[in-house]
Amino acid sequence: MKKLTALLLAGAMVVSLTACGGGSGSGESASSAASAASSAVSEASSAASEAASTSEASEPVSEAAEGPVTEGFTINACIASEPETIDPALISSVDGSAYTQHQFENLMKYAMTDEQVADDPHMKMTEIVPGQAASYTVSDDLMTYTFTLRDDIFWSDGEPVKAQDFVYAWQRVVNPDTASEYGYFLNDIVKNATAIQNGEMDATELGISAPDDKTVVIELESPCAYFLEICAFASLMPERQDVVEKGANWTDPENIVVNGPYKITEWVHDSYIVMQPNEYYYDYENLGPDNIVWWLSDSETNILQSYQGGTYQFIESFPTDMIESLQASGDCFINPYVGTYYLYLNCEKITDWRVRAAMVLSVDRDHIVEDVTQGGQVPATGLVASGILDSTGKDFAYGVSELGAVYNWLSQQYPDYDLTTYSGKCELAQELYQEAVDEGAWDPNTTVVYNFNTSDTHKAIAEACGHDWKDVLGMDITLENQEWATYTNGLGEHTFGVARLGWIADYNDPVTYLELFVTGNSYNYGLYSNTEYDEAIKTAKATLAGDERDSLLYSAEEDMFAEGGFPVCPIYYYTNIYCANGLDNMGYTPMGYFFFWYATPAE
Amino acid sequence: MIVYIIKRIAAAIATLLVIMAVTFFLMNAIPGSPFLTEKSTPKQIELANAKYGLDKPLIVQFKNYVVNYLKGDLGTSLKMQEGTPVKNIIFHQGKFALSIKLGISALVLAIAVGIPLGCIAAYRRGGALDGFLRVVTTVGVAIPTFVLATLLLILFAVKLEWAPTISGSLTDFRSCVLPVISMSFYYTCYIAKLMRTSMLDAINQDYIRTARAKGVKTRSIVLKHALRNSLIPVITYLGPVIAGIITGSFVIESTFAIPGLGKYYVQCVLSRDYPIIMATTVVLSALVIIMNLVVDVAYKIVDPRISLTTKED
Repeated sequence: MKKLTALLLAGAMVVSLTACGGGSGSGESASSAASAASSAVSEASSAASEAASTSEASEPVSEAAEGPVTEGFTINACIASEPETIDPALISSVDGSAYTQHQFENLMKYAMTDEQVADDPHMKMTEIVPGQAASYTVSDDLMTYTFTLRDDIFWSDGEPVKAQDFVYAWQRVVNPDTASEYGYFLNDIVKNATAIQNGEMDATELGISAPDDKTVVIELESPCAYFLEICAFASLMPERQDVVEKGANWTDPENIVVNGPYKITEWVHDSYIVMQPNEYYYDYENLGPDNIVWWLSDSETNILQSYQGGTYQFIESFPTDMIESLQASGDCFINPYVGTYYLYLNCEKITDWRVRAAMVLSVDRDHIVEDVTQGGQVPATGLVASGILDSTGKDFAYGVSELGAVYNWLSQQYPDYDLTTYSGKCELAQELYQEAVDEGAWDPNTTVVYNFNTSDTHKAIAEACGHDWKDVLGMDITLENQEWATYTNGLGEHTFGVARLGWIADYNDPVTYLELFVTGNSYNYGLYSNTEYDEAIKTAKATLAGDERDSLLYSAEEDMFAEGGFPVCPIYYYTNIYCANGLDNMGYTPMGYFFFWYATPAE
Repeated sequence: MIVYIIKRIAAAIATLLVIMAVTFFLMNAIPGSPFLTEKSTPKQIELANAKYGLDKPLIVQFKNYVVNYLKGDLGTSLKMQEGTPVKNIIFHQGKFALSIKLGISALVLAIAVGIPLGCIAAYRRGGALDGFLRVVTTVGVAIPTFVLATLLLILFAVKLEWAPTISGSLTDFRSCVLPVISMSFYYTCYIAKLMRTSMLDAINQDYIRTARAKGVKTRSIVLKHALRNSLIPVITYLGPVIAGIITGSFVIESTFAIPGLGKYYVQCVLSRDYPIIMATTVVLSALVIIMNLVVDVAYKIVDPRISLTTKED
């Protein structure tokens, strides 16, 4: 009945044209509109030319008629539609973070290296270096970080940036009254953060303090291997209390005061945001573009046409079926992007681990990435996304063996099967499945419900998996799609057999993934529970980066894909696809942010 | 007439209240919350609910809506433009005006082109022109708007470069052409078909035959006698069209990158932005109610025999 009412309200609307919320990677982008349009070209061309004859426009126009007036070197980029907010404490999307990274600078920042990203000679990898901080020291017990701020840092109204601005901002994010989506982010990391989030302590008790205007001291609850990365995080950017307290519209161009390289100067809602260099920024002299125009659009068709028409120089979303031809023309690139597309296998519905293992083994991932998603995604061999590094800098996903976490334990237990090939995996899958059926642990007539949120891509992936399970194992699968908010709500009720999710890393550490499957974690939708696993993750969280921690995390992930486990079926690792034309010196992090502040026109 | 209009306004207010109640309880019956994302914890949702008063009993929330609406306060957006007053989104950012501008232009074009085409087709029934128009109008009614819009965009904006790909705020003529044509094409064709049928009906009436027998010129037969009578079905059709043309602008606005209100009608439900759902529904309902009133009054003007109230004849 609840579903029915949702359909009543949303049904008549053009659901297929709207993307689901959240950070959508390449795997999510699919435009039914564009593909339908191209197939209907022949039928409709007579009507189009008829209608067009009324058009009186005749002069060629190369620029958008309706854009901002800009001078000098301007980057026109489109990375998303209207952001929900650009208030650093409230942002939760990748695009909101990108705007924030351009406007604000934290204690640490992303700086460009000489390393090229993927195939694009104009795109440079970034690394974490001190930003507003000139230097920092860490106490011997690794529990206290002391940052000394630079002397030449100012807000865009000329006031000096003070240590108190960081204290205020961090407290604001953690304060439950702010209701920040990243309010939990410092839990168990910074002293008292969890208690403040739970309403047991006042926000001023947070373990961050400013002994003087230029010193920020942060006390941790336990050593944190990725703490410096957190110090560059977009949600924790410094803010001026007097500015934020102007009210909800403090982020409007006429009110906002920033400390980063660029500052918003104009914002036409649902149309564009203009940013210009902040003259008070310490590296103002070296900044690149005179203007960055962030166009706000959700029409993949329009975004692509505007790019091809020359209005945009940088775009991140366009119809998936165009990727191949765009790559051929040389301006479309596929970047690594730290995210995993995976399926929850509900441990309470599919109770026998061998059935779950058989399901994990029998999905033909090569087929999915090559024929369904087509965006250069990498077949997943573990839960932790490729691109997350261990303490030695090795890609965690392939740290133990080339096979990956999913197959490590199986290949030792069942050495007779060749797990490097799909047919070998299928044979083992059939063997495990049959064993479970023979023992009466699984009734082969059970129909498993596969839930996904409405999207062409998710549907195609669901169909591919359902087909494989039917074909290889003889399992019956029912596909059920739901609109996004209904879907996420249903995940928490654990009624599904199989359900999809994509998880983009917030910071570069395996814990961001492995934590999800700890008993009691609110994302543990499949109700996996393993006390040894829980213990290992807890210990790893309190251990500083090094061999010991690495091996804890490696064996934890292996445990998950061993006897009694397999609560999750990883499908692929995300990629980030973009088109860029005429730009050089762009920066990128595998968390999905692009930086344009040192960009220059390409030769 | 005045009494009639006053009565209708009173009825309109009651209707709006009912619409508010139905919308409010329907939208709260949908599972999900504006604060649900892949990464939000139950704790986050609880905190956000408390922040925006969504933790109060439904009946209290509804009462607050009604009271605030009477004060002219439409609430603040929870999700789509978090923290921004809904009134600003709809009116001050020019979205409503822009959607109305697009809708009215399309409607005017549809009427201005559709009615004459329908008349001509009816009058030249069976001729080559009628045949041609029949094909065009059938295609026009069948082709989905987003297909037509995309085709026009690719052909005239990308290939021929006669128009911009981003129409923006529609301040100059060139950026209006494609969206308005894409939007009005369906309605033009539908009105032409409707007009043709009712015109055919009219010109076969006895009074037309009489007029013709008296030697009245064809031109004035059509314009003076037939047209007026055959307009009734078209006017009836226009009432609901006005609502459709404004909410239906979503696809056009998205395709031509126009920052109008269309997106908000659809996206607010999907993102559970309750205050925007309420506000867009109420504003649109008010508009439809007003347009229906205008249409009813227009009947009376077109055909004085129609009585608006039973007492008034």
